[in-house]
Amino acid sequence: MPRSDEELYRLMRKGDQDAFAELYERREPALYRYALHTSGSSIVAEEVAHEVFVQLMGAGARFDESRGSLESYLYGVARNLIRVVRRQGPVEEAIDRAIEHDILGDLISNETTAALHRALREMPDRYRDVVILCDLEERSYEDVARIIGHPIGTVRSRLHRARALLSAKLKWLNAPAEVLSK
Amino acid sequence: MTCKERIPEIVEYARRRAEPDTETRAHLATCSACGERWETERQLTSQFRIMRIRAAARRPLEARRESLMRDFARKHKHAPMPAWVWALSAAAVLLFAAVLGHATRNRVRVNAVPASPAIRTHGVRTQQTILYEASTDASALSGDEDFIALPYAPPLAAGELIRVVHADLDPDVLASMGIDVDPSWASELPADVVVGEDGLPRAVRIVDNTQF
Repeated sequence: MPRSDEELYRLMRKGDQDAFAELYERREPALYRYALHTSGSSIVAEEVAHEVFVQLMGAGARFDESRGSLESYLYGVARNLIRVVRRQGPVEEAIDRAIEHDILGDLISNETTAALHRALREMPDRYRDVVILCDLEERSYEDVARIIGHPIGTVRSRLHRARALLSAKLKWLNAPAEVLSK
Repeated sequence: MTCKERIPEIVEYARRRAEPDTETRAHLATCSACGERWETERQLTSQFRIMRIRAAARRPLEARRESLMRDFARKHKHAPMPAWVWALSAAAVLLFAAVLGHATRNRVRVNAVPASPAIRTHGVRTQQTILYEASTDASALSGDEDFIALPYAPPLAAGELIRVVHADLDPDVLASMGIDVDPSWASELPADVVVGEDGLPRAVRIVDNTQF
């Protein structure tokens, strides 16, 4: 049976490097993707995903098991780091340029995907987080409710609202040029 | 069921890339607004899939991972001591403190014993009682107007331990200390004498001055 994040964290605090490595392997990729979708920059995402673990192993890590899961804490740290980056100014790098060897790149509409990325980044945190976790990370409503610390009903309603906003954006993008010019 | 009530169902079908049930399909065929929403929701799901695949294409940078692990190893270079080592260390500290406390108490007691029970009053020994001990200096002593500083007495060193002793002093002894003595004084006089660490008197205070 795999050890829980919290158990790995406790071992890690006692100096168990294997536990730290396991925690890193388990959570870093999703944190990177979360940061990528939120910031729109792979460079920022790399930095954020790395910094989350730097902070976790630092003496200042304030994770309190009684207040929520470690996963929730890690997303919270990532969210705060991205806010700090955003306050420093706009991120120039386009997300699509960051992906090398994109096999599907020629087959899809880059414009639509890029526009959707922008729309996602511009959403309020509460909507964007549920879209990323539910639809891009394909996590269950239960998991997301635990991560964001809200009831399942709230997660579902936020997701539907967020999708309605994004659908409207897509609809606008798909509208024929003559309609848009009116 | 109204269109508003159907929207959550439509969204969930689109998210799961599932075919709607017969009733919903019939509604979508007749309601243009819901039909349009259904199409954009499906498109959204497709776009999310593309975004997901693209983001998943990334491989974590090995160099970053290695540097993180090195930092971790450096921070935890010294393995944490087991609980029993902490307990043993605490016991050792307590034992050391107890021994130190005992030794200090003994030292104080040694200091409290007068090095010279008698005031070296030019060979004349008197009956005396130690009133108190204090660390002082000559200037502090001279500030006390009740005490008469003895002439020719060597000065007290700063911080020197002095004792104030009570004694009945013969007028001749007082005279030998350099105190002006009235020839009419016949009996011994009760006095407090400040004595230095060397046992030599430095000042005298006549307690019963009815004879002055």
